[in-house]
Amino acid sequence: MMRTDWRDHDWQLIHTTPQSPTLHMALDDVLTHEVGAGRRAPTLRIWEWAAPAVVIGRFQSLRNEVDAAAAQRHDIQVVRRVSGGGAMFIEPGNTITYSIYAPLSLVKDMSFQEAYAFLDAWVLQALGELGIKAWYQPLNDITSEGGKIAGAAQTHRGGAVLHHVTMAYDIDATKMLDVLRIGREKLSDKGTTSAAKRVDPLRSQTGLPREAVIAQMIATFRRLHGLHDDRLRPDELADAEALARNKFSSAAWLADVP
Amino acid sequence: MHGEYKMPGGKLVVIDLDVRDGHLANVQLSGDFFLEPDTALYMINAALDGQPADAGKAMLAACLLDALPADVMMYGVSPEAIAVAVGRALQWDSHA
Repeated sequence: MMRTDWRDHDWQLIHTTPQSPTLHMALDDVLTHEVGAGRRAPTLRIWEWAAPAVVIGRFQSLRNEVDAAAAQRHDIQVVRRVSGGGAMFIEPGNTITYSIYAPLSLVKDMSFQEAYAFLDAWVLQALGELGIKAWYQPLNDITSEGGKIAGAAQTHRGGAVLHHVTMAYDIDATKMLDVLRIGREKLSDKGTTSAAKRVDPLRSQTGLPREAVIAQMIATFRRLHGLHDDRLRPDELADAEALARNKFSSAAWLADVP
Repeated sequence: MHGEYKMPGGKLVVIDLDVRDGHLANVQLSGDFFLEPDTALYMINAALDGQPADAGKAMLAACLLDALPADVMMYGVSPEAIAVAVGRALQWDSHA
């Protein structure tokens, strides 16, 4: 396998109407495999959320991470994603989430740390164009002088790399801390005792509507790497809907790490 | 029993386990780390199950290295960090 660069690929953009949390989990699974199998060109997908959710990492303990009673009280669905990393608290309009599905050749011979920074270099540039000085903080955070902006996660499967990122646009920190259990040990090397203070969202940093931030990100990706507007194929959507129903909605998958 | 360890420069490593007749049982590793392939999680739990509760960190880390195939990749977690989390669950050293 030869190392490839961004411009060696015909990048596709998928940005559709809001979808359910379980369908988002399933689309990441399906589209990674489609790119790995060569049936889909490398793709950037921007997520739109139809409902609030807590998305826990592949290896996180459900009961250690989530206060189930609080989640139910706030009508927040809890889902488990295919990649590792930490829990994300999602409310529609409050986050900007995207996935990159790329052949493994794009990150060939890179360390994990290099691959994270490489796949998000365009985002740091887009943020710079919005006036935010942001940088990569290993292992998997995008941060700024004001605080953390985003968290990334990667997984390799079926010959492709899935790299997805959730950026905080706005945040209801009180509700987040009600639903997520964020332990003291986790904060032990973060230099602060307040989880809410760790995140500084894009809304306060840019003063721009969420849609304008997304438009800038798409424009920057398009200019740097090339990008064609695409849509989900009917078979991709059908596969993802089946997987959302049968796997990502199941108690067995959600509690795989109880 | 429950132990947590924030690996320096890494992620949060959590162990839940029981001790039965002096041996580890129902070991469950969790955390916000990265593991490839994801099924390595089950291998790690299985490798720790049945180990003597007084095995010590070095021995547990060595047993994990032995149990995992060479193609398993860890990011933000390591056999040593998992062994430290086990030690905390067992309260080998309350100052650790």
